[in-house]
Amino acid sequence: SRLAEGTPRRSIQLSNIVEQRVFKDDEIISTPKRGNKKKSTEDADADYSPRKSVQKTPTRPRRISASTKSTATPTHGTVAAAAAASAAPMTPSQKLKKIRSGELSPSMQQRSGKPVDDLLKSKLQLAREQLHVSVVPKSLPCREKEFENIYSFLEGKIQDQCGGCMYVSGVPGTGKTATVTGVIRTLQRLVAQDKLPGFDFLEINGMRLTEPRQAYVQIYKQLTGKTVSWEHAHTLLEKRFTTPAHRRVTTVLLVDELDILCNRRQDVVYNLLDWPTKSAARLVVVTIANTMDLPERLLMGKVTSRLGLTRLTFQPYTHKQLQEIVTARLGGSEAFKGEAVQLVARKVAAVSGDARRALDICRRATEIADTALDKCVTMLHVQQALGEMIASAKVQAIKNCSRLEQIFLQAVAAEVTRTGVEESTFMGVYTQVETIAAFMGVSLPPPGRALRLCAKLGAERLIISEHSRNDLFQKILLNVSTDDIHYALRVGEVGSVN
Amino acid sequence: MPDDSQEWRKARRFLKERLQRDYTTLRGYQEERSNVRQLLQRTAEMGESNSLLLIGPRGAGKTTLINAVLTDLLVNKSFVDNTLIVHLDGNLHTDDRIALKSITVQMRLENAADGKVFGSFAENLAFLLQCLKAGDKKSKSVVFVLEEFDLFCTHHNQTLLYNLFDVSQSAQAPICVLGVTCRLDVIELLEKRVKSRFSHRQVFLFPSADHFEEYTKLCQELLSIPSNRELKASADRIDSLELLTSDSLNFHRNHFDGVEYEFDSKFVESWNKHHAKMLTSSQAQKSLQMLYDFDISEAFLKNFLFRLVAQLKPDVPHITVDQLTALAAQYEGDDKIDLLCGLSVLELCLIIAIKHHSEIYDRDPFNFEIVFARFSKFAKVSTTMQSVERSIVLKAFEHLRIGELIMPLTNSGTGKVQKEFEMHKMALTYGQIQQAVQRYQALPTEVAQWAQSSLI
Repeated sequence: SRLAEGTPRRSIQLSNIVEQRVFKDDEIISTPKRGNKKKSTEDADADYSPRKSVQKTPTRPRRISASTKSTATPTHGTVAAAAAASAAPMTPSQKLKKIRSGELSPSMQQRSGKPVDDLLKSKLQLAREQLHVSVVPKSLPCREKEFENIYSFLEGKIQDQCGGCMYVSGVPGTGKTATVTGVIRTLQRLVAQDKLPGFDFLEINGMRLTEPRQAYVQIYKQLTGKTVSWEHAHTLLEKRFTTPAHRRVTTVLLVDELDILCNRRQDVVYNLLDWPTKSAARLVVVTIANTMDLPERLLMGKVTSRLGLTRLTFQPYTHKQLQEIVTARLGGSEAFKGEAVQLVARKVAAVSGDARRALDICRRATEIADTALDKCVTMLHVQQALGEMIASAKVQAIKNCSRLEQIFLQAVAAEVTRTGVEESTFMGVYTQVETIAAFMGVSLPPPGRALRLCAKLGAERLIISEHSRNDLFQKILLNVSTDDIHYALRVGEVGSVN
Repeated sequence: MPDDSQEWRKARRFLKERLQRDYTTLRGYQEERSNVRQLLQRTAEMGESNSLLLIGPRGAGKTTLINAVLTDLLVNKSFVDNTLIVHLDGNLHTDDRIALKSITVQMRLENAADGKVFGSFAENLAFLLQCLKAGDKKSKSVVFVLEEFDLFCTHHNQTLLYNLFDVSQSAQAPICVLGVTCRLDVIELLEKRVKSRFSHRQVFLFPSADHFEEYTKLCQELLSIPSNRELKASADRIDSLELLTSDSLNFHRNHFDGVEYEFDSKFVESWNKHHAKMLTSSQAQKSLQMLYDFDISEAFLKNFLFRLVAQLKPDVPHITVDQLTALAAQYEGDDKIDLLCGLSVLELCLIIAIKHHSEIYDRDPFNFEIVFARFSKFAKVSTTMQSVERSIVLKAFEHLRIGELIMPLTNSGTGKVQKEFEMHKMALTYGQIQQAVQRYQALPTEVAQWAQSSLI
């Protein structure tokens, strides 16, 4: 142990010596420290020069000037810094500082050409654009009651200038977020007409955060535009919501994907739901999640209590509603046959009631009609689209396996029937392979090659197998049903005979 | 004859390079290819947002399909100017943090400078989402190619997938998410909300060479040398791509280029004729059928042909049927039997003792003492094995163990039991031992007889 202690100390001494030497004969020896410094400046220079020549695209100066105009820099930062920023290209750290202070607005590269004009598009193309999930209509069909519900809640809270919470749940694709943002948009329109006192709208999404505490950062960023650390953001938000201030307006906070914000300590959810209870805050929180019983299942008692009982559940769409949604999207266009829409609606409603699914299938159907050079989407196109998108390709995959792979699959199925247990070992399967191969008159692969077959089928997930390290003793589970194997292989054989 | 030797040398190099480095030539899959191509084209031109999953077994040409489609499209100026291509690989980008940095660099966002990304993970995500949100139909389309898509599904909360699919389903910058995977059940790995945002377009790539004639034809095509005109056409295709000098495609720098090759037309004719004839012979057909029964993927065939082409020598300037059958026979061989044949007689005796034990006790596990007792019974009555010491037998036993011919019952917790008493199982079938005993060079007759029955 003494030896082990000795080494670090010696190294510490060594480093001391080196540093002393650095200080003493600074000029004589080119010390490592100086060398490093020089190198780093050179690196910085090297970083500079290409950016000056290559990266200084015409877009950047314009963007910077635009952003400085919009945020009115003189309040923060010196005039010299602002002038420098607009004149010379910034170093990365300067740029990062600008990004963090919100002075540099993020942007995407622009297209060179103009987008295609609407007049040039065909009827099917227009229908396809209308059917895209991103085109949210101004008023959502079949969600009037839920709209009313949320609207009256939010309007009441804003009028009364008090805080509150609401919990909205439903399976994905049932119009939760679209309805809530629709309500907010309506309220904002009312504010613009001076029919309602003004309010701030903040919005976070649990899945857009890398960890729950980043919620503070995002909320603070939407309030001020600055990016700070979460501790700092937390204290600032705490200060804002707990201390009373003159002319504080109501704040509406929409929290999407609430279940992601729940960690073990649940401090973030607690804070978000605790602020509305403070009289100074005037905070209205609307939370959205998928499961109906999330507050009881996942949240702590005190958090559930703060969440309250104002709840709303979005039911999955029925086939009539889905049909109405699609026809509303299509407007007066005759690109779709009525029964085609009905088929989509019925098929989707039977599975999930997800509006996104119905719209995507309709879009795919328009593409199929497009390639078939038809002007109208008929039942056949929809049927093909349904076949593609509610796909089960396992039978197809088994049919397209090589002969020995098919024998291997048959052997696994045979071993399952023989032992009666789902899980079989490779050794048992190999014995079955031997039998089947002898029966069919195929040359038998040695166990090493059979392991390769097994690994290949395992990669495709037709079977579930362990690592091949366990050799003859690895366990094999069939991932397709035995009926699928029989169906695929028997029908295939008949086909080959014909 | 120096000229002729030049020709075949060139032919060998040509075939090897075409087998290894031709990343863009896709055979078959007309429908799937046009499907992907149209999707990407609509993303680039109309600014539509889409998502698609490319699914197929390993070696089915998934990456080649994407490469081929991108090669076709990148010739259009309207595509190059209006799209950014972001390549991600689940094997390299093992978590969202690394993937996000790579996206930031490849999209050349503001917070990246010369391949170095500034800010934390959370900041990078926020910045990327803000950028995409700031975009609209007028901004460039981004094509995300996610290879090994199933590995992205294992990331924490599937944050990256959620965000990519979410952008593709909202009115933001037009993006297209292309997932490539070999798992058929990959959709089941997605979380519910991610699954809802995915557009459920799946393109399945199953190798279409499911008839043996097509397989032979493919083999013939891979071995044949094209005429100079065809060579020039393919070279033009690659040249036009290299002119683009975009860094989105990183294979074109080292792509197979047919322009370097020019063959004598007489040579080409005789070469192709010879190989067509060779491949139609019944012996070659039988060997190919054997390969085809095992694996129908093109990658497997290419591997086989590469080894075949590498055998071309000055004295055999053509591939012969014998070479083909000999190589195919190598593919049928069992490596473990080769390993067994390389053991010493003592080690083989131990294997036989283990086999006898397994036969009698129906694959019960064994340890060194059991095997040693069984071996000693044999050694006592044999004339050649009497003077073997225990320590040497133990060494031989350990040798078997590190050769993984026998494996310990548990992988961990071996420290408790002494090594003579640790239980093992045998990783061989009886058939393999039988064959090894038959094939073993200069095996003493006593051992061969003992291998027949456990009675001494």
